[in-house]
Amino acid sequence: MRLLKKPGLLVSAIFLLLVLLAVAVPSLFATHSPLEGVAAEKMLPPSAEHWFGTDHLGRDVYSRVVYGARLSVAAAALAVLIGVSVGAVVGLVAGAVGGKIDFAIMRVVDVFIAVPGILLALIVVASLGFGPWSVAVGVALGAAGSFARVMRSQVLRVRNEEYVEAAGALGVRRGTILLSHVLPNASRPVISMAALELGTAILSVSALSFLGFGPQPPTPEWGSLVASGREFVATAPWLSILPGVVIVAVVLAVNRVAQQLGASK
Amino acid sequence: MDSAGASSAQRARTALIFVAPKLLQFVFVIWATYTVTFLLIHFLPGDPVLAALSLKGGDATTTDPAALERLRVQYGLDGTLWEQYFRHLTGVVTGNFGTSISTGQPVSTMISRVMPHSAAIAGLALVIGILLAVVVTYLAFLTRSNWLRQTLMQIPPLGVAIPAFLTGLVFISVFSFGLGWFPSSGTRQPLSVVLPAVTLALPVGAIFFQVFSAAVFEAANGAYVFTAVAKGLSPRRIFTRHVLRNSLLASITILGLQIGYLAGGTAVVETVFSRDGIGRMTVNAVLGRDINVIQGVVIVVAIVYSSVNLLVDISYGLIDPRIRPSLATPKTKGSPTAPDAPENSAPVRTTT
Repeated sequence: MRLLKKPGLLVSAIFLLLVLLAVAVPSLFATHSPLEGVAAEKMLPPSAEHWFGTDHLGRDVYSRVVYGARLSVAAAALAVLIGVSVGAVVGLVAGAVGGKIDFAIMRVVDVFIAVPGILLALIVVASLGFGPWSVAVGVALGAAGSFARVMRSQVLRVRNEEYVEAAGALGVRRGTILLSHVLPNASRPVISMAALELGTAILSVSALSFLGFGPQPPTPEWGSLVASGREFVATAPWLSILPGVVIVAVVLAVNRVAQQLGASK
Repeated sequence: MDSAGASSAQRARTALIFVAPKLLQFVFVIWATYTVTFLLIHFLPGDPVLAALSLKGGDATTTDPAALERLRVQYGLDGTLWEQYFRHLTGVVTGNFGTSISTGQPVSTMISRVMPHSAAIAGLALVIGILLAVVVTYLAFLTRSNWLRQTLMQIPPLGVAIPAFLTGLVFISVFSFGLGWFPSSGTRQPLSVVLPAVTLALPVGAIFFQVFSAAVFEAANGAYVFTAVAKGLSPRRIFTRHVLRNSLLASITILGLQIGYLAGGTAVVETVFSRDGIGRMTVNAVLGRDINVIQGVVIVVAIVYSSVNLLVDISYGLIDPRIRPSLATPKTKGSPTAPDAPENSAPVRTTT
């Protein structure tokens, strides 16, 4: 198979499948309870029994990372989903309507692209309150601008294709043309961009959780795990660094697979 | 050469035609950022005064409507949305960003007090990041080994995938607690700037690298590099004399983007290193639901971002004559007229 010639891609894909499995059924991978600790076994360094060591309450950090995958990955996926949907709709409308409305919409989009994503997310979190879902909405808002821009340029490209003109000449209604001809043909680059955005979204979600805006303790989440391990970085650096390394591994795997998705189109 | 008199007036006009739209855009971005932030804050559910108060002193403190109204007036959050919008907008124009709900201090005072700390690490991070990107590209440009080049080109994308909080924590445990070279937190000691700056520099350098190395390898195929090779110049000299200048110039356009990234990155880095700064202040403001501070910070970031973009645009016109509007001198018809960004294949200066 061609996949065997790309060991990096193969490893990334298998790793991602395992992560997805952990999201669906965390008990398959977890070795201990993610919430209940053994007081006598607190602050243990990594060992065969506790792969990532134990925290200040004697909880197994590896199991907490496994259970944390669900919120981290789900929030990032939701962020991308909202970002793509909002961006696609805005870009589609702007590109299809054109004229002054297009101009006005795109100036607003420019502002969303200009303001750093994390600041937009912070504004949203400050207004909506804390938690993984408001973090997801905040990250989505930061990403929607560039999706809108790409979608619009694709719509402008597709709009002049012959099959669209043909459909128009045949008397197909504008809305139908837009949804069944323009949208499918314009969305390909947007979808491969969305795959790449997932890695960024995982980073943004975990950064916001690290700052304390994600799920409240004791719920495990990757960024919050790093944050709670941070207090002990002088004496037990593995508590924060090992969950951090897991984030990096997932992001690299997502990026590798997304890159392949983009290339095969 | 221009002759004096009429041509200097003409030059001033050309400069004006070049600069005026950019100034207009500068004002527009700041206004639009203010408007978008205002709308987001006021149309998302939640009452900022109530939220901030319940965080500040338990929920039983103030439920008396009259007292709440007094607080709204104090923080400029009273009246209709239109009144608030215009009151804050005039505040922005005059540099008055209102009062912080959690500290009671003027927001502009708070921002200007911590600004130097953030500017120090952001500026240093930018310099280190650009240097790293140039060094890696330089090595990849010079090496004859294809394998080594591929490996070098693979390193920077890693910088984007590693979250800043992880790099920061690794640096703290190795260089502060392990080796004891640098302080792990605070702003007092002069060396405390180093670790946060390097932490921020990695992603900044990685982003810069992507644009810069692309420009370098595109320039390497340019006609003027071919000429330089034919003249027998060493690859090292070709890089420093010809390629570096053109590619750096082309990469400066993303400086504005980098400012945005730096503004966000300081939030994480300043939290990791417990440093006073804009980022940490913003994080604390969000934790206290202090919307006046958040809005002030966003506007200051927008101003810095737009100023950098404005400077980049104008300096581009000064450095690269091809960017200027060619209305006054129709003679230069043979050259490309006002492209969005200069083509890398055409050198700015090729004399050795």
